[in-house]
Amino acid sequence: MNPINRFFDSQRRHFEKGGRFETYYFVYENIESIFYPPPHVTTASPMVRDRLDVKRFMFLVVVALLPHYAFGVFNVGYQSHLASGLPPDLWPVVAKGLQVVVPMVVVTYAVGYFWEALFATVRKHEISEGLFVSCALFPLTLPPTQPLWQVALGISFGVVIGKEIFGGTGRNFLNPALTGRAFLYFAYPVQTSGDAVWTVLAAGRTAPVDAFTSATPLAVAAATETGSVPQAWVDAGYSTAKLFFGLYPDSIGASATFLCILGALFLITVGVADHRIILGDILGFLATAGLLNLVAGPGSSPYLHLSPLHHLLVGGAAFGIAYMTTDPVSAPAMPGARWVYGFLIGMLTVLMRVFNPAFPEGIGIAILFMNCFAPLLDEVQVKMRLKKRVPNVR
Amino acid sequence: MNTVHIKKGYQLRLIGAPAAEVEVLPRPARVAVVPERLRFVKPRLTVKVGDRVKVGSVLFEDKRHPGVFYRSPGAGTVSAVSLGPRRLVRHIVVDLDEQEAFEEFGPIDRGELERIDRLDLIDRLMAGGLWPLVRELPFRDAARREARPPALFVHLDNLDPFHPLPPVYLRGCEDLFEFGLRALERAADAPVNVSLAKENAAAINGLRSRITHLYTGNYPAHDPGVLLYRTKRSAAENHSWFISGQGVLLLGQFLQEGRLPTEQTLVIAGPGAQTPRHVRARIGAPIAALGAGEVPAAGIRCVAGGVFSGQPAPMDSFLNAGETSLVYLAEGAESPPAFRWMLPGREATSYSRTFLSSFTSPRDRSMSCNRHGGLRACIQCGFCARVCPVDILPQLTYKAALAEEVEESLSHGLLDCVECGLCAFVCPSKIDLLETLRRAREAYYDDIA
Ligand code: SF4
Ligand code: SF4
Repeated sequence: MNPINRFFDSQRRHFEKGGRFETYYFVYENIESIFYPPPHVTTASPMVRDRLDVKRFMFLVVVALLPHYAFGVFNVGYQSHLASGLPPDLWPVVAKGLQVVVPMVVVTYAVGYFWEALFATVRKHEISEGLFVSCALFPLTLPPTQPLWQVALGISFGVVIGKEIFGGTGRNFLNPALTGRAFLYFAYPVQTSGDAVWTVLAAGRTAPVDAFTSATPLAVAAATETGSVPQAWVDAGYSTAKLFFGLYPDSIGASATFLCILGALFLITVGVADHRIILGDILGFLATAGLLNLVAGPGSSPYLHLSPLHHLLVGGAAFGIAYMTTDPVSAPAMPGARWVYGFLIGMLTVLMRVFNPAFPEGIGIAILFMNCFAPLLDEVQVKMRLKKRVPNVR
Repeated sequence: MNTVHIKKGYQLRLIGAPAAEVEVLPRPARVAVVPERLRFVKPRLTVKVGDRVKVGSVLFEDKRHPGVFYRSPGAGTVSAVSLGPRRLVRHIVVDLDEQEAFEEFGPIDRGELERIDRLDLIDRLMAGGLWPLVRELPFRDAARREARPPALFVHLDNLDPFHPLPPVYLRGCEDLFEFGLRALERAADAPVNVSLAKENAAAINGLRSRITHLYTGNYPAHDPGVLLYRTKRSAAENHSWFISGQGVLLLGQFLQEGRLPTEQTLVIAGPGAQTPRHVRARIGAPIAALGAGEVPAAGIRCVAGGVFSGQPAPMDSFLNAGETSLVYLAEGAESPPAFRWMLPGREATSYSRTFLSSFTSPRDRSMSCNRHGGLRACIQCGFCARVCPVDILPQLTYKAALAEEVEESLSHGLLDCVECGLCAFVCPSKIDLLETLRRAREAYYDDIA
């Protein structure tokens, strides 16, 4: 037996029923199980159980997000150096990125865990590892310039309002990370709204005005009045390749479309994300934007002419599709409902982008909106499905 | 012959499958009946310690159904009646005599079998104490004498690891099987469906003509409830009867000889068994005697009836008639290596694709009774619904059952549930779904009784 096992085995009794720290059992259980699953055995049939537990399930989402963090650290530093007129050497860039990203992550996890532990202890339920996913997602959606106190406030709102007041993971119907993000968006639009670029500048420098105050791709798209949006992007310095690889000033980790694709493929492969939702999302984008392309006449706004693929390339679309819509807790549970859910999210996102200039990015709101309708979609499909059963009563 | 493909379900690949040779075990010193593992039965004892009994003497009666007797599997002296918590009868032990005497019920031959009145036949089987081997869907209690079943299902194999293989236990018993089947056909007075896994079909050519359904698919494709769910057209069929292949043999033998049969074929297998094998053993034999030649190490759990639907059977227990599977599993109470949940999981057994083992070639692996994780709230992964062989949505049905929403859980198909336990097996939140569903089914059964 190794020392870790010995330590937990000797401490467990203090937290179990009748122990001195019984109140904190769920926090203890959570920390212990990070090291190894507690040696619980089955007490009811079936006698054997699958090796998969919630921790592993959620951990795989975090694994899918790690490349985004690597990318985010690099990109934040890289953009900062560019904007501050410093040479983009790898190690200084990474150091700068870490300096920005690490505190945000630490604050998110510390504050998120605090709330979760508090509610778990008071309400006597387990700490679900879903929290670690929410806390991994949240900073990636934020601009690197977000003040830390706002980060703390955002994740608090996400965990408490988005989840705990409904009874914790499994009973929440909103995606907690997105709830926190949306809260910041509405509460602190100046720092969060996404129509100006966010770049951390090195101390004592100001941005060279001409090169680095351009708007985000979505803001550019919304502001384009003549010509075509892709052309306007190229003019603003956003080549298609740049959009695909995400190397431009944006939220910390959401701009890298190619990583989102890889992450989504990974999650589908291991069966953690449902391909129905992802394909539904994409279909929603394709159908809606495609339809707009068809109805758009020569005189309509260039945004209406923007192709579906371009829609998928910019803003938080790919990130939202891969990681936010696929959260099983806030999505519908039924396979058919998941297609519809995805499709409507794609549709709403495009419509919001094109017709509502107040929201440069629509996907977050679209997902939260559809989160609210997930139970309804489920109910419809469950009803249909139950009707097909040959009744079996008595 | 129909072929049925069962797409859902899951086949656990477990090491310790039994070898096909049958070892005949020596006669044990004692045998017993174990009421604590006889589902639904409420025993009223008719013997006390010191009484002399024959093979076939009444030991107790089911309080719920006067006239349903449970009889002694051996002749000798009642040496112990052990009581468990709440004074439930755990087992009634009979020390065997050197020469065993039998109660005689009178044999019946083929011609008589065709002439006998249906209810007389049932009464005869009930008198012999083996009638409860015939079960009635959907609750799986003993078949009711007064019922008119729409169909009778006979399942020759059982995919729950591990059960006796049909080619093994039917070898040389084809005529007896035919006889038993005919008797059941007369007793049920309904179409008889005999099902068998397709891969076993070649090995029992002798009975080919009697087989109505071949199936392919994973556990629990063998279960009569699954076959019924796949084939039923109306609600009237829900009350079908069913029996296992060995049950047919026991009933047939009882009628043919007019005496209670005393032996059955069973498997002793699983990762904790030293020589996983088929054995021919006394009905009611002590588990410790079955394990002869094995030293059941500390930390081994004995499971009677398969790893999914079986129950733990302590080492000091015995095996009832019809309990033909004994699986030895490591208890698994020790802590797994630190940070195991982060590792690729080359050797993990999982329904999901979250471990590397899903992407390498499948093979049999060991398993213990470890739960592999803490209890969590449902995360709506949907695995339970994906695996359920009868298309129940266990995550919703169990919520309805917990809230005692009887109508709602029934509309979800609570009574179609075959109690296979796969939903609870796959659940990453380690929710005891089966336990909740089973309780709800039993509560409803009590209610309408
Ligand atoms: S509900 Fe669970 S136990 Fe019942 S049949 Fe479905 S998977 Fe098996
Ligand atoms: S398997 Fe468990 S966690 Fe997943 S949906 Fe079913 S009950 Fe919920």
